[in-house]
Amino acid sequence: MDLPAQLAVAATPLAALWLARAGSDAVCPDLPATRAALAAVPIAALELAPPLARRIEGFGLRRLGDVLALPRASLGARLGKPFVIDLARALGEVADPQIGFVFPEHFEQSLELPAPVEAAPVLLFAARRLIAALAGWLAARNAAVRTIDCLIDHGHGRTTGVPLAFSAPVHAAARIERVLKERLDALSLSAPALALRLCARETEVREDRSHALFDGAGQRHEALAELMDRLAARLGPQAVQGLACHADHRPELASRAGPEKPALKASLPSVPSRPLWLVEPPEALRELHGRPQRAGPLVLLAGPERIESGWWDGGDARRDYFVAVDSGQRWLWIFRDPRPPGGWFLHGWFA
Amino acid sequence: MNPSLAQVLERSDIRRGDAFAVAPAPTFATGFARLDAELPGGGWPRGALTELLAEHEGIGELGLLLPALAALTAAGQPVVLIAPPHGAHAPAWAAAGIRLDCLRLVFPNRPRDALWAAVEALRCGGVAATLLWLDALFRAQLPANSLRRLQVAAGEGGGGAFFFRPSRLAAAASPAPLRLQLQAQGGSLRVTILKRRGPPARQAILLDVARPAGFLQSVPHAVAGAALPDTTGSRRRSRVAA
Repeated sequence: MDLPAQLAVAATPLAALWLARAGSDAVCPDLPATRAALAAVPIAALELAPPLARRIEGFGLRRLGDVLALPRASLGARLGKPFVIDLARALGEVADPQIGFVFPEHFEQSLELPAPVEAAPVLLFAARRLIAALAGWLAARNAAVRTIDCLIDHGHGRTTGVPLAFSAPVHAAARIERVLKERLDALSLSAPALALRLCARETEVREDRSHALFDGAGQRHEALAELMDRLAARLGPQAVQGLACHADHRPELASRAGPEKPALKASLPSVPSRPLWLVEPPEALRELHGRPQRAGPLVLLAGPERIESGWWDGGDARRDYFVAVDSGQRWLWIFRDPRPPGGWFLHGWFA
Repeated sequence: MNPSLAQVLERSDIRRGDAFAVAPAPTFATGFARLDAELPGGGWPRGALTELLAEHEGIGELGLLLPALAALTAAGQPVVLIAPPHGAHAPAWAAAGIRLDCLRLVFPNRPRDALWAAVEALRCGGVAATLLWLDALFRAQLPANSLRRLQVAAGEGGGGAFFFRPSRLAAAASPAPLRLQLQAQGGSLRVTILKRRGPPARQAILLDVARPAGFLQSVPHAVAGAALPDTTGSRRRSRVAA
């Protein structure tokens, strides 16, 4: 782009601007020095509105020093109040508060690719720059994000969205990059990519702890969260699950994927033995001479335990559960449906 | 004077056939004293693959791991299950003393993804124990080098690595340093150590793994839970069966 930069230092912001525009390298640490330096600034450097500039030129004034030598009141009458106020601001006679830089609320940056990209994994190299910018933006705000939108622009208004979701707020570039890599590896582009855009809208306050010197549980859980994010990015969010108890007597509803809600923890009283594995849907078993069969007759060891629930939500269940052992000494959890047409079902394994 | 035989034998790179290695790899307790005594280092190895070859499903093969997993999760250490054969029933895991918030289940659809997920989980230093079931997804056609990959990944991560496999693979070659064969025997679990770092195990161990409460071997038919009056038919049937 070849843009030159010109610095100037003055006691007021406006004077510094004018001095810079005039191409002066002046360093004016106080007001008298600023006033002296301003005297040499040509009127053209002020970049005034053309009618006003012509007017001043018509008076035969070439430099700011000529203007400052004239009485201020009559200047105001002839050239208008705003100009006189500007003069006063430059000379430090009137306060000149500046609007501070406001950091952008949302992160949104895009990057034009130097050449169309056909393979999605290659986009990672371009994305690295955007991720580094995002990480910088997050660091400046002391924030972290749970979701990031990555948009691949194919031109002609067509885009492919690659939303990234994290199990915990993230702020580290490396971690975002690893998850994006898994998503890009699995992606095949419908059309060559021309540009890449990264957006982060909702941020959370970063919860940074100082790490313990000798490895703590925090680091371990961070590593686990990172692993889960990567697995979910490649296998799909449904493939990675937590486990939680749910207060329901129907076994298929007593267990849920996802984080445990502490409030529900104590709500189920200690139940009789339950199998570690649940066969879902229950496997129908043959019945011979009134005994359930699965590779030979099953021996019932304990039961029945009647579970009857769910008449209110359409999932009405009435079952008699038994602990059974088969000929291979495998422990099964089976139930009999007491309602017609009845029958025996395998519902779990005591593994 | 020549160095005595005892001095030579104290060298760390010399292992005598009848003893475990001098500096055994890090381990964590299995929760079964009799099994700990038979395992090098006195517990389940960390950073090494352990093969558990169960004769059948449902004989207590998970029960063998539960005490160790409960201890790990109680300390807030995460446990990851890769491609478990069925959905986990949360109340049973909670009843076994496992902190559910430390448990993660991964259900990959494709064999390739399952192997990748297994390697990633094993390599992750944050996972204290990884449980694998890969043979069903691969239809018993696990690629020849995958066991080696898993073993290397386990070494990098340094957590426990438990690979549940069908027992017909007992005779197959494996790079796993610890291989146990599991069989049911009258309500207990019969554990045969097929391979360990140390002298060959002489005999199988019988372990009382967790079995459904309410069952006592002397009383084959124990009624658990309250039954409603109209189940008398099924109760009679169960008594006949027992």
